[in-house]
Amino acid sequence: MRIGVVLPSVPAYSETFFSNKIKGLKEHGFTVVVFVNNSKKNTYNFLKIKTAPKLNGNKFLVALVSIYKLIYSLFFHFKKSKNLYVLDSKDGVGFLQKIKNIISNSHIFSESLDWLHFGFGTMVLNKENVAKAIGAKMGVSFRGFDIGVYPIKNPNCYVNLWRKIDKIHVISNDIKDLVYQHGFKGKAEIIKITPAIDTTFFKNEEEQKYSDKNNFITIARLHWKKGLVYTLEALALLKEEDIPFHYTIIGDGSQLERLKFAAHQLNLSDQLTFTGKLEHDIIKSKLKNADVYLQYSIQEGFCNSVLEAQALGLLCIVSTAEGLSENIINNETGWVIPKCNPKALANKIKEVINLPQTEKQAFANNAKERVSKHFTIEQQQQQFVEFYKE
Amino acid sequence: MGRTIKIAIYTGLVPSTTFIERLIQGLAENGLHIYLFGFQNKKNRTVKNTHYITYKTKLSKLVLLIKYSLLLIIFKKKDKKKLDKIILNQDKNTRQLKVKYYPVLYHCPDIFHLQWAKSIEDWLWVQEFGIKLILSLRGTHITISPIGDERWEKIYSQYFSRLDGFHAVSKSMVPIAQKFGALPEKIKVIRSGLDLKKLPFLSKTENNKSLNVISIGRSHWTKGYTYALDAMDLFSKENIDFNYTIVGVESDEELLYKRSQFELENKITFKETLPFAAVIALIRNADVLLLSSVEEGIANVVLEAMALGTLVISTDCGGMKEVVSDNENGFLVPSRDSEAIATALRNVSEMNIEAYKTITKAARNTIEKNHNYENMIVEMKDLYQTILKDQT
Repeated sequence: MRIGVVLPSVPAYSETFFSNKIKGLKEHGFTVVVFVNNSKKNTYNFLKIKTAPKLNGNKFLVALVSIYKLIYSLFFHFKKSKNLYVLDSKDGVGFLQKIKNIISNSHIFSESLDWLHFGFGTMVLNKENVAKAIGAKMGVSFRGFDIGVYPIKNPNCYVNLWRKIDKIHVISNDIKDLVYQHGFKGKAEIIKITPAIDTTFFKNEEEQKYSDKNNFITIARLHWKKGLVYTLEALALLKEEDIPFHYTIIGDGSQLERLKFAAHQLNLSDQLTFTGKLEHDIIKSKLKNADVYLQYSIQEGFCNSVLEAQALGLLCIVSTAEGLSENIINNETGWVIPKCNPKALANKIKEVINLPQTEKQAFANNAKERVSKHFTIEQQQQQFVEFYKE
Repeated sequence: MGRTIKIAIYTGLVPSTTFIERLIQGLAENGLHIYLFGFQNKKNRTVKNTHYITYKTKLSKLVLLIKYSLLLIIFKKKDKKKLDKIILNQDKNTRQLKVKYYPVLYHCPDIFHLQWAKSIEDWLWVQEFGIKLILSLRGTHITISPIGDERWEKIYSQYFSRLDGFHAVSKSMVPIAQKFGALPEKIKVIRSGLDLKKLPFLSKTENNKSLNVISIGRSHWTKGYTYALDAMDLFSKENIDFNYTIVGVESDEELLYKRSQFELENKITFKETLPFAAVIALIRNADVLLLSSVEEGIANVVLEAMALGTLVISTDCGGMKEVVSDNENGFLVPSRDSEAIATALRNVSEMNIEAYKTITKAARNTIEKNHNYENMIVEMKDLYQTILKDQT
């Protein structure tokens, strides 16, 4: 079986989770082609990657590339181009957009595929008819932002998609609910496959020792949806009570200034470290040195970092945002509390750090066991094989 | 002083924001000659005593460069040579710098008044040619940038002690500038002034059935709109009819998401940035102007609301307490505290019309006393004259 996966860019090499998924599919006899928009270097020697024609920047170059791709598609992939044009016409797509669609999807035409799988819902926009045009089935993954935030800003953006889709992949039950909320009428099957982590890498044989220094940690892009300002406000409440702690945030992003300023205003700068983005190995050692993992997101698909933290034996406190309440079983493998409420977070942190060591370890053991049982890459691979098999 | 004083007011953009334009106009009307350099953003009406030396297209840049290169070669050859040396020492595109610098050198204003601190490094050279350099202490350049990025802290600390003067928009700016080495005697607080004739006070005669709340300001985290929305969520549970409009944030993802989570789409409206007159009309219609910011100098929109007779609820951040006195001419709440905003909204909704009038009248008095346009112009002129006197 031949599967094409549409992604924004070639996944970074550190995303072992991604390469393992592709490897797993290959081991089951699938051929995988990855279609990306921007042409970063292919770091996977075992992977076939095709890049979309670049249609922004210098106008003259864009015109040249467009004409070349259009002629090429009409000459070598006439049938697929025509199919796309006809299908787009039926949907009332304007003439120029139809031509643009032929050009921008020309890299996909050259492959014959059984499935065309879009890695995010937003990747499908203006590509709703491509799968059918090339005679493939269409699969789409919804992961969080694409269904949690994007349709709020762009209402009805998926109307066309819902009519064309053959199978939907979601990463949590909450995401599934969101798919229905945003207009899906149940015409295709929805399969939940949760994310998975490399449990052989994120593994901690020793019992975690929890220090009274209270090292808190979060791994997150510095994005508003990660709820880091609320987290800092909760920590400011702890500080008011003279509870000692240090908080480390691993990741970078556009909100650094906002967070640094909040830390300054809340008088937390001395107890806070922004490490920026780090390599996998370093992340692991930072996690091992921490006691409590915080993921107090406003919006979240599922969050692999919470799985990794659990696998290493950290005590995890998370918000109710979408998939997090499936990632952690409240009061069993960690704690799930209402989002956007710094007081609630502060109270929960206090409660958790004051638990006796044995009880902390019991929580950590539950979490480790659950992650190693239910969130392994092998299981995920198997589930994706089933997904494509019918 | 007998001769005319030449002042360059520099933001890089012509025309600039409303309040800077207001300052320019007032100074020019008072006999100062104002020079405006930089990129011509939109067309503006010509004002007496105001000189525009601006560019827009690549071609106009080239023409400007050629014109001023020639003028300098003919009239100020030595100075040009000196400036060219300075330009070469900067690690930047030399042609760009020439376009920026040559006209300033040629017109050689008495004072170069820089509005935004981040470009301080670019303009220190003017002092080498006897031009006095003044910086306005305003906005996030002063309050946020040096905390968000150490680079600015270093640059400010390196140069603030060298400047000839500072104009602070609020007292709250003074200690910040001093931290970077500005001498206190060189800082003058000159508060923003409003043209009060254009903002007549109209007292409310009866309470609206539904509490109309409005916020105005660009889509930026410093405005603290997330706290305002959290407050509206709390407030909406109190069974008080209200509606809330934020002007300037039409498609802010974070706010759209929050509104949708709270299911308050029918009560909360996001509007695009509007022209001044439309904003004034909206403020007048509202019962409450809410300033939810985490940091400000003194927010002009609060001054405008107070002038017009709309009650203000403001966070106690930056210089806001220099204008708003809690329970006297408005309400002050702690910043980053949505519960406090919700409580203040409830208090206002329960207020009788007489109490509302007393507070808004007091607010108007504050503005008339401390924020009138004529005073601002006189004080600014004073600042310039003091600095020029020091020279002689």
